[in-house]
Amino acid sequence: MSNQTVGAVYAQIITDVIDSSRVDFEEMGVEESVLEDLKKGWQRKLTQLNVAQFPWDPKPEVVAQAAPPQPAPQQPAATPSYTQAQLNPTQDVQQHLSFPGGPVQQNSGSNGPPIKNEPAFAMNEPVIKQEPGMVNNGMPGQHPGFPAAPGPGGMTAAQRASQQLAAKYGQSASASISAIQNQAQYQGQPQGYPQAQAQAQAQAQAHAQAHAHAQAQAQAQAQAQAQQAQAQQAQAQGQRPGQPHQQQQLTPQQQQQYNAQQQQQYRQQMLAQQQRAQQAAQANSQNGASNSQMDGSSEAYEGVLLQRDADGNPVEMGRIEIDSLLHEQIASRAKQMEGGGLMLPLKEATKHRSVAKKSARAGGPSQVDGFDDDVKDEEVDEDAINSDLDDPDDDQEDDDDDDDSMGHIMLCMYDKVQRVKNKWKCTLKDGVLTVNGKEYVFHKATGEYEW
Amino acid sequence: MASGAPTFYELYRRSSIGMTLTDMLDELIGEQRMDPQLAMKILSNFDRAITETLNDKVKARLTFKGSLDTYRFCDEVWTFLIKNVTFKMENGGQTVVADKVKIVSCNAKRPGDAP
Repeated sequence: MSNQTVGAVYAQIITDVIDSSRVDFEEMGVEESVLEDLKKGWQRKLTQLNVAQFPWDPKPEVVAQAAPPQPAPQQPAATPSYTQAQLNPTQDVQQHLSFPGGPVQQNSGSNGPPIKNEPAFAMNEPVIKQEPGMVNNGMPGQHPGFPAAPGPGGMTAAQRASQQLAAKYGQSASASISAIQNQAQYQGQPQGYPQAQAQAQAQAQAHAQAHAHAQAQAQAQAQAQAQQAQAQQAQAQGQRPGQPHQQQQLTPQQQQQYNAQQQQQYRQQMLAQQQRAQQAAQANSQNGASNSQMDGSSEAYEGVLLQRDADGNPVEMGRIEIDSLLHEQIASRAKQMEGGGLMLPLKEATKHRSVAKKSARAGGPSQVDGFDDDVKDEEVDEDAINSDLDDPDDDQEDDDDDDDSMGHIMLCMYDKVQRVKNKWKCTLKDGVLTVNGKEYVFHKATGEYEW
Repeated sequence: MASGAPTFYELYRRSSIGMTLTDMLDELIGEQRMDPQLAMKILSNFDRAITETLNDKVKARLTFKGSLDTYRFCDEVWTFLIKNVTFKMENGGQTVVADKVKIVSCNAKRPGDAP
C-alpha cells in the first residue's frame, strides 16, 4: 500500500457516487449541471487538501482551467431565485457557460476537462475510462423530462401566489394597509403641519368629493366585472366577491384580473373612507375643536407610541412599527414560556422574564430614563443564559475537533480486538488513514500496542 | 436501500473524501440548488461506494505499533488513541511515524445490519 493508490481509489469512489446519484437527481428533478458541479467541486476540494496525488490533477493546466469556472457558476446561482434555477434548466446552464470566460471556457465547461483527463484516467484505472463518454451523455444540460412540465408558467404562478397573498393580507389587515396608504399620502408633506394641512384640505375638499364620486362609479364597474368572471365559472351562488376560496375557481388570467380589481376596489374604498374621515376632521377643526385627535387615520399623528432615537429625541412610531414591535414582544414571550426550547430552572426562567418586562416598558412612551440600562441588561442576560449551558460542551468539542483536524485519524472496521494484560492486538480492515497530511488506504492492518 | 440493500456505516464520512463531499453538498444546499433530502441520498450512496471500493479494490496491507493511550468500546465501536505510532506499509516498505493517531473502528461482522 502506498499513497499512490489513494488517488485511483478516490477517483473510483467519486465516479461511483456520481453515477449512482444520477438517478436520484432525476427523481428529484434536479438538473445534471448541479451533479457536474458537485463532482468538480468535490475534486477541487480534495485537491486543495493535498492529501494525495489525484488522477484529475496531474496536469496543472487542466486544474487551472477547471477551477476558475468553478467559483463562477456558484455565485450566479445564488442570486437567481430558486424557481428559476429549478424550473429553467437551460437558462441555468447557459448562465454557467456564459459567465466571464467566454468561448474558451464554454468549451472547457461542456466537455473540456473530462476529455483532457482521459489519458490520466486510462493510465491509472481502466474503469474510469468510461468517464468521458458518460460525462458527455450526462452533460446535455437539459433533461428531456423536466422542462416540459412547469416551464415559464412557474413565474406567473409565483406572481399569482404573491398577489393572492397580498389580497388576503389586505383583507385581514386593513388597518395596516390603510396606514401604508396614509403614509404614502402624507409623504410629500412635512410632519408638523396642523394648520396648513387643514387649509389645504378645505381647498381640496371639493375636488375630493368629485373624485370620490368617480371612484364609486369605478367601484361599481369593478364589482360587475368581478361578478361576470365568477359567472363564467358557473359557480356563483350568491357569494360575495372577495372570499378567498372563490379565487381558486378562476383561471389564472381571470384571477389576475380579479385580484387586481379587488385590490383596486379595496384601495378605492379605503381612499373614500379616508376622505370621509378627513371631512369629519375638517368639520371638527372648523368648529373650533382641538386638532389633537388620535384615533382617526387622517391625523398627522397616527402613531400612539413614541420612541427615542440615538440623541434622545422622541420619534413617532408608525403603525407598522408598532405592530412589529408587539409581534416581537409576543413572540419573545412565547419563546420564554418554552424556555427557548430548553428546560430552564425556575430561577433563571423568572429572571429572564423580569428583564423582558423591563425592556417592554422601555418601548413605551412613559420611559424617562436612558436606554443604556436596558441594553446592558440584555447583554448580561444573554451571557448568563448561554454560558451555563453551552460553554463546557463547546470546550470539549473543540478539543475533539482539534484531534481530528490534526489529521491523524484512521477510520476502519475491526475484525478482531484482543487484549492480554496490557498488550493489545487488533486486526483491522478496509481503512482510510490520514497521517501527517497524507492519506493511505488499506485492505488489512494489524496493530500491536501496549497500554 | 431502494432494493432492500443493506445500509452501510456512515463512519467514512469523517474522512477527507467524505468531508469534502459534505462541504460541497452544504454549499449546494446553501445556494438552494439542491434539497437536503437529495444530499442525504448522495451521502448514503457515498457510504456504500466507499465501503465497496475499499473492500474490492484495495489490496494493501499495513502494520502499526505504538503505545495505547486511551481505549473505548461503545456501541460496537472501538476508539483508540495511540501515541508514538509507527506505520509500516507492507509492499513499499514505507514507514510513517506520528505522535498520535486516533482510530475509530466499527465492527466488520455486521456491516449490513441496520444501525
